[in-house]
Amino acid sequence: MATAEPVIRLEGISKSFGSVQANQDITLDVHQGRILALLGENGAGKSTLMSILAGQLQPDSGTISHAGKPVVFTNTEKAIQSGIGMVYQHFKLVDAMTVAENVFLGASDSVWLRHKEMNTEVRQLAEKYGMSIDPEAVIADLSMGEKQQVEILKLLHRKSSILIFDEPTAVLTPKESEALFATMRQMVEMGTAIVFISHKLEEVLSLADDIAILKRGRVIDQLPKKSVHSTAELARRMVGRAVLLEVDKEPVEPRQIVLKVSSLTGKGLKGADFEVRQGEVFGIVGVAGNGQKPLVETICGLTSPKKGSVRILGLEWKQFFSKQNWEQTLSYIPEDRQGLATCPGLSLLDNFLLTTRGGFVRGPWLLKKRAGATVNKLINDFDIRPPDLDALAWQLSGGNLQKMVLAREFYRRPRLIVAEQPTQGLDIAAAEDVWNLLMKAREQAGILLVTGDLSEALTLSDRIGVMYGGMLVETFAADDQERIDKIPEMMAGLATN
Amino acid sequence: MQRFRIIKRQERLGWRSCFILLTAIALALLLSAVMLVMRGTPPVEGILTLFKGAFGSRWAIEDSLIKAIPIFLCSLGVATAFRLQIWNIGAEGQFALGAIGATWAALTFPELPKPVLLSMMIGAACIAGGVWGMIPAILRQRLGTNEIIVTLMMNYIAILLLEYLVYGIWKDPASYGFPMTPMFSEQAIVGKIGTSGVNSGIFHCLVLGVLFWIFFTFTRTGFELKASGDSVRAARYAGIPYNYLVVLVMVLSGALAGWAGFLEASATINRLQPSIMVGYGYTAIVVAWLARLNPLNIAITSFLLAGLRVGVESLQLDMQVPAAFGGMIEGLILMTVLASGFFVHYKMVPVRKQ
Repeated sequence: MATAEPVIRLEGISKSFGSVQANQDITLDVHQGRILALLGENGAGKSTLMSILAGQLQPDSGTISHAGKPVVFTNTEKAIQSGIGMVYQHFKLVDAMTVAENVFLGASDSVWLRHKEMNTEVRQLAEKYGMSIDPEAVIADLSMGEKQQVEILKLLHRKSSILIFDEPTAVLTPKESEALFATMRQMVEMGTAIVFISHKLEEVLSLADDIAILKRGRVIDQLPKKSVHSTAELARRMVGRAVLLEVDKEPVEPRQIVLKVSSLTGKGLKGADFEVRQGEVFGIVGVAGNGQKPLVETICGLTSPKKGSVRILGLEWKQFFSKQNWEQTLSYIPEDRQGLATCPGLSLLDNFLLTTRGGFVRGPWLLKKRAGATVNKLINDFDIRPPDLDALAWQLSGGNLQKMVLAREFYRRPRLIVAEQPTQGLDIAAAEDVWNLLMKAREQAGILLVTGDLSEALTLSDRIGVMYGGMLVETFAADDQERIDKIPEMMAGLATN
Repeated sequence: MQRFRIIKRQERLGWRSCFILLTAIALALLLSAVMLVMRGTPPVEGILTLFKGAFGSRWAIEDSLIKAIPIFLCSLGVATAFRLQIWNIGAEGQFALGAIGATWAALTFPELPKPVLLSMMIGAACIAGGVWGMIPAILRQRLGTNEIIVTLMMNYIAILLLEYLVYGIWKDPASYGFPMTPMFSEQAIVGKIGTSGVNSGIFHCLVLGVLFWIFFTFTRTGFELKASGDSVRAARYAGIPYNYLVVLVMVLSGALAGWAGFLEASATINRLQPSIMVGYGYTAIVVAWLARLNPLNIAITSFLLAGLRVGVESLQLDMQVPAAFGGMIEGLILMTVLASGFFVHYKMVPVRKQ
């Protein structure tokens, strides 16, 4: 049923938040009866683009046309009227109501609810698309997969003809994913257009008709599935050509081991093994969702290791986190700077004290004046804007917030640094600052760098580890060109020898 | 019709936000006046009686101050918990337990010298109130219960426990069957200041209020509470012992409400009887919200809402308006002030027709 005329055409869409270009001149076609996969790392701009399509954000420039006619989605209502519906990662359902009631929520005009008719209608709709769901079941009793089906039914009931799925399999079991794919194929056959956001290569390859790859806000590749032969090829296109960036990298002799992870298992990890020495950067690369998150959370003390061991600065995990010093220890620079690394409603001074408070106490007292002088100096040194101790964290731009976190964490003179996507969402100037800071810190500390940006990993790291399926499939020196060329295969989980 | 667009304010309002607050209170009074009209009471005269009754004479102001003391302490207590986003609705029960603890000390050691006995009563009140606050905190940590529901339900248990004691083992044999304990000994009573009717509990409020401010502004634990109140995830990231802090604030919260119970039993009633429970613990929640958890604001708001309670008594005597009217005004003020918070953060801009 594929037609030549695209049902939705995005042309030259650009959107920036402050100095960060989230989408840059993006042109994409969505066809009826086809599945378009949007592939890209976290922060590549997929979600921004889809929010624009769903009417939640307005583009700075560019146009959207629906069935050949230009449209402006000033709010979500207008996008819905054009038949665009989005299945969010986090479901928007009323837990205490039944499936049918949720499907009809907000859609029914009459005062009285006719439960019998509602149930019949929902049942018929579900059967039509090959879903098996009881319209009378209460949402709270359903599995994640079934809840997702309700979300889809809601959209189908509204006669949405263009469905956007935002990483739909992230919350599903493999079996539920299979069922979802069957439903999606069924919908496409009936003429629906589907946009499918994912960073799972196998899924994209098995499901999509067209593939668009986003990187740093741009569409870097757009191709029909027919022309892609393997997940490795897809990974190579996604990673792009690694460019070595300009960073002062002084050679440092690696010294004692500061982090040793052995056969760490559980929560998505399947026996991760590696060590980090003082004076080196160990870069972990891989497609998101292959165990990086649980690995970092375990090392940084947010979750306890289930099986296997983690030794930090010579101490077992439990021992290390039972009594923590504020300085010369582990510094964690998380990906989530706004929700984890800082308190959005507190001032810069208070946010600085968050992890360094141990250095500014006398008895029960907190020496805020002394801390204030230190922070003022750091604000100056790191060029944090606005240079105001009382500015609240949420008022800072992403780059300035990250600089604030770095200033704070480096002030602790750490001996082990865990940096997670340290330049994600930063403009290039801010990213360079971050890289130089990390390089300087390497003289005193061992650094574990977890990143989806291969250029960043290759530029900064002394050794590289590739993660796939919850373990490090290979570890090698950052100047081993032969292995570097094979990173896409390793990221796709293909055995290499 | 003119249409408006809602825009988030970029700059902070600062002192100008007090205009919004005053408008909200004026609106609440206007609505109260409408209700007076509906029951046939002259509204202007009614509101004036209310104010005169609350603040119009020395006697009225003293009475307002006396009632402000327990409200202030309970409110300081709930504000401690609210700052950590722990919703302690149980000041009423913790207040009752404080009164019970203080009464126990007063009845058991009536002959001790005054400073010793009063200290013991304070200690017993704080321990009893603190434990009453600690139970919901521990249930929350261990079993994941909701502290709002548990603290609320424990209020009823506390009140029943108080009644059980005064109807039973603590009942004064000379009370002709009335449910009340014997009068406390002279040593167990917090005295009045000079010739005024106000008891020296007001100094306790002053000291505790200042300590509250110092604790949250200058100590490490106070800072950790502030950070945890803003973001639990960030607190865990920074190695702040969040679970311990939850228990700590609930104990402090209960101890402060317990202290209020001690003062009420010792200074105001001089014994324990069921009429000690008049809902100060609930008014304290309203006060804490209106005052945005700031101790100085809590002091002012406590005085104003205590005045409302006193003023309504005059309204009842002079114009036969039921006492429940006071609770209605209290509720209206809370609603309008909370709703006005919207205008502190957003502004409405008229939309021009294109």
